[in-house]
Amino acid sequence: MSVELGHFALVLALALALVQTFVPFVGARIGSLSLMRVGEPAAITGLALLAAAFAALMLAYVQSDFSVANVWENSHSAKPLLFKITGTWGNHEGSMLLWVLILSFFGALVAAFGRNLPPTLKANVLAVQGLIASAFLLFILLTSNPFARLQPAPIEGRDLNPILQDVGLAVHPPLLYLGYVGFSISFSFAAAALIDGRVDAAWARWVRPWTLAAWAFLTGGIAMGSYWAYYELGWGGFWFWDPVENASFMPWLAGTALLHSAIVMEKRSALKIWTVLLAILTFSLSLLGTFLVRSGVLTSVHAFATDPTRGVFILAILVFFIGGALALFAFRAAALAPGGLFHPISREGALVLNNLLLTTAAATVLVGTLYPLVLEAVTGEKISVGAPFFNLTFVPLFLPLLAAVPFGPVLSWKRGDLVGAAQRLHFAFAAAVVSAFLAFFLIDRGSALAALGIGLGLWLIFGALTDLALKAGIGKVEPAAAFSRFRGLPLSVFGTALAHAGLGLTTLGVVCVTTLETERILTMQPGQTAKIGGYALRFEGLQPFTGPNYTEDRARFILTGADSVRLGELISSKRLYTARGMPTTEAGIRTMGLSQLYVSIGDATNDGGLVVHMWWKPLVTLIWIGALVMMGGGGISLFDRRLRVGAPARRKAGPAAAGEEAA
Amino acid sequence: MTRKQKRLAVIGSGMGFLALAAALTFYALGQQTSYFYMPVDLLAQPAGAGDRIRLGGLVEKGSIVRGEGTRVRFVVTDYEHTVPVVYDRILPDLFREEQGVVVEGALGEDGVLLADTVLAKHDEAYMPKEVADSLKERGVWQEE
Amino acid sequence: MLFWVLAALLTLIASLAVMLPFLRRRGDQRAGAEHDLAVYRDQLAELEQEVGRGLISKADAAEARAEIGRRILRLSEAGKPDGGAGGERSARTIAAAAVLAVPLVSWGLYAFLGSPGTPALPLQARLTIDPSQASIDELVARAEAHLADNPQDARGWEVLAPIYARLGRYGDAAVAYRKTIALTGPSAAREAALGEALVGEAGGIVTAEAEAAFERALEIDAANPRARFFIAMARAQEGNTAEARTIWEKMAAGLPQDSPWKEVAGQAIAGLTGSEGEAPGPSEADITAAEEMTPAARQEMIEGMVAGLDARLREDPADIEAWRRLLRSYVVLGRKDEAGEALERALAAFGADSEEAETLTEYAETLGVPQGE
Repeated sequence: MSVELGHFALVLALALALVQTFVPFVGARIGSLSLMRVGEPAAITGLALLAAAFAALMLAYVQSDFSVANVWENSHSAKPLLFKITGTWGNHEGSMLLWVLILSFFGALVAAFGRNLPPTLKANVLAVQGLIASAFLLFILLTSNPFARLQPAPIEGRDLNPILQDVGLAVHPPLLYLGYVGFSISFSFAAAALIDGRVDAAWARWVRPWTLAAWAFLTGGIAMGSYWAYYELGWGGFWFWDPVENASFMPWLAGTALLHSAIVMEKRSALKIWTVLLAILTFSLSLLGTFLVRSGVLTSVHAFATDPTRGVFILAILVFFIGGALALFAFRAAALAPGGLFHPISREGALVLNNLLLTTAAATVLVGTLYPLVLEAVTGEKISVGAPFFNLTFVPLFLPLLAAVPFGPVLSWKRGDLVGAAQRLHFAFAAAVVSAFLAFFLIDRGSALAALGIGLGLWLIFGALTDLALKAGIGKVEPAAAFSRFRGLPLSVFGTALAHAGLGLTTLGVVCVTTLETERILTMQPGQTAKIGGYALRFEGLQPFTGPNYTEDRARFILTGADSVRLGELISSKRLYTARGMPTTEAGIRTMGLSQLYVSIGDATNDGGLVVHMWWKPLVTLIWIGALVMMGGGGISLFDRRLRVGAPARRKAGPAAAGEEAA
Repeated sequence: MTRKQKRLAVIGSGMGFLALAAALTFYALGQQTSYFYMPVDLLAQPAGAGDRIRLGGLVEKGSIVRGEGTRVRFVVTDYEHTVPVVYDRILPDLFREEQGVVVEGALGEDGVLLADTVLAKHDEAYMPKEVADSLKERGVWQEE
Repeated sequence: MLFWVLAALLTLIASLAVMLPFLRRRGDQRAGAEHDLAVYRDQLAELEQEVGRGLISKADAAEARAEIGRRILRLSEAGKPDGGAGGERSARTIAAAAVLAVPLVSWGLYAFLGSPGTPALPLQARLTIDPSQASIDELVARAEAHLADNPQDARGWEVLAPIYARLGRYGDAAVAYRKTIALTGPSAAREAALGEALVGEAGGIVTAEAEAAFERALEIDAANPRARFFIAMARAQEGNTAEARTIWEKMAAGLPQDSPWKEVAGQAIAGLTGSEGEAPGPSEADITAAEEMTPAARQEMIEGMVAGLDARLREDPADIEAWRRLLRSYVVLGRKDEAGEALERALAAFGADSEEAETLTEYAETLGVPQGE
């Protein structure tokens, strides 16, 4: 019964989403406050209903109820409980339900905490959110219903794709969706501003924290996905420029741009039109990502053409929202009043440069991702656009951006002084250059490229620290005074510095792995030892092992250091998931400091040996640690009192509260 | 410079930058994309020795020779023509006889493809896209 | 019933949620400009705090203050109040329509999409369902779950083993028989059944492992017909037909009239020689009977009979019914090419234009036999 109740709750949520779309919108048009207010309970009740539907589906997974077609297709009664739960969103239907659940979660947040938003703005925002939710709920119910039933119910399920049976999968899609879908709020605010024909002062104040939250989640989601691919696929790569990865990377680039232009808008009332456009583009790229991943167009253009229901439905949603928003923009953007002026060399100017580089970089990724699809659809010609393309286009655009990052925070608003900024940064610059030289001369195999890259990464980190030091006045005022000023710095300053330093850490990790990594492929007999990265691995032999829903052959390696001290053991295995008869390779990974030793095994050879592929990956963990630091920076910035959602209303003694009483 | 001139300079340099990025993208699309071949395509328009190609097809039954150390030999076929391949790394988990595969590498003098990348399908329901489409056009393979 | 009550309750809650703003006392109403003003006031307060902390220079602060002041001025110039309280009457109509739409849309769509009658079948429920209602697969799954928890339950394994064999899961059957033997000790019947499962797993071939099982069965009970039959088949598969025939003949002679093994042995002998004078060839009844046997024995029997029939028709091709049986047998065995070949021979024997040839051709068509020219 719970399954059918979940199904009913889903249908009811669609009904409420439709109400949420039309009633507040009409209310805003005819000026009825009561109608505008309908959006709030509708959004919150809708969230409750979707949560109930999702819980019902999850319960069916936990209980292995194969009378639900979706559960039968993606689960197995012998699967560990954790993967039964994560399997709920490890498939098309379930993940779309999660998508809408998160969308409605954000909508409900606006409804619940947007008390001091102008009522028309709030009504319009909720209406746009409702419209997005309606479109996707209709898509789920008509083409991808997770509650479709089977009768009679099969005895055993088909199991979840083994490479998805992983803790990484438990975290990756929800984080990614929190990011993807979080941008819908910025989109709805942009659309609402265009419908109203004006951008309130509250607009930027509201858009920035939402963008920040979505951006932080997306950063975490992408990093998680990258780490998951790194250890689960057994190839040792952390980024493949795969269309699925690009689909999440494009909104990240655009979202990063939006984050920065929203700062200009909040502080300086400038770049209004551009920010609104960017908010539309960012969520459009999220929708495009959803389309690419969910329509099957990537798996095969052919498959898309032969079973078009889903693909065409999402494409229609995509065209409707992107086209609609851009058309609205074209008609109404002129109505938005332009904002303050600024000198090209200023904090605003730096942020404009940031936006220009980020959006262009996003555009090259877009071209590289869509070009093969479009070419194939039009001419039937098949090409592949891989890492060489992105190295030639994305990297040259991104490097100057990285080099320019430390300048931004030390320039002043409105009109800045480049020479002064450079002087303020001279210490960071000197430290980076010295480190680069040290790297060049001290590191074995260190190339000029590696040294430059390391210098760039450190420049970002030192630049971020310098900014903090400057703001605290270290060196200028008494240490005690500097310390108290440091503690009194707004959280957003720390957030900025952390995020920029995190970017530097990731850069450092990427540079070190790509230029200094060593690998060996060899055949090993039991008892044989191989040396890599200053360590030695002795192959102990293969042992069979049986897991809950798989069997595997485990290869054991004893790890010793340079001085033959035993450091521990590494296990890499060939696993066979019995339900689908599908083999996977589990890599053996050992973290030493920030670096990792990565071993993956291949086939046995005729003479009783085993093919072994091993990598020494120096500082590889910095790639993901950097992303976590960026995410942390976003989080800290989010807790800045000035950005906090609804801040004016909460401070009882504050001027806003006074305003409310006066009204 | 007047304010207007300054503005024009900023807009102009922005435009110039965008043009540069666009030119770079077009150049890269021309240079850095690899065309996809089926074995029979190589018969029609032979690629020279040393050319990098991306080859798709099925792994011919009984053609996999393992066990020569880390080196693996196999033959990619589309049932019309075959191309021998040598690969010196660990094959993907789902690499099997008579399954779809995409191989990237350089053609040697002897017509043997020296592969540096071998991609097998990601899960048991997935045939590499290019291979699936080409084989279906030829009617050699049907999706279940 | 409970489902409908809960669904109705959910619908009621959803409809009430839509009505909520109309039930509540009307709250305060602020014009858009006042919201903007609140934001600017906040910015001013922030600015003063930053000045207090020494984060901004006095000059910068003055400029920022001036800028915020300019924005407030611009605001009061443009300041026009929001829509106000107009249109509350039409609002009530719209709200009523919306409240009505919630049950209409949800129940309508659910009637179209839902399947409220389908019972849920979680794993636990499947395992405790009434046995008389359950399918074989469900019963097996339940037995498996039981045995996974109690692997020492010998009786459970013994009951499950022949079911596995019947379902064609010979590997599982062999495992189950081995468990039974390990837990309760060997018996002729168990060893012979294990051997048969192994034969089934090997696709009808009596492997050395299977033969060892039959030998163990015969050590316990030298008269076990199943073991004897398969030992003979092992001989036949090795090419030692004479010995096979001896064993089968002794078996057939020694067994009571109603023993199923007597008939099976007789058929096996017929299959061996392939030319048992009056042997009528496999009739449909024979094939049905063969389906009751073990697949290995069945295959052996049918092959033998078909070979016999084929040989007979080469010598005496005039029996049109026999030709029909032969064609059908080949098709059943999946040997369509041989069926086509047989058809050609028949047509040659009767003459291509004869009535018999026409009937046979038609019959062959219904069977899907490939036809030459």
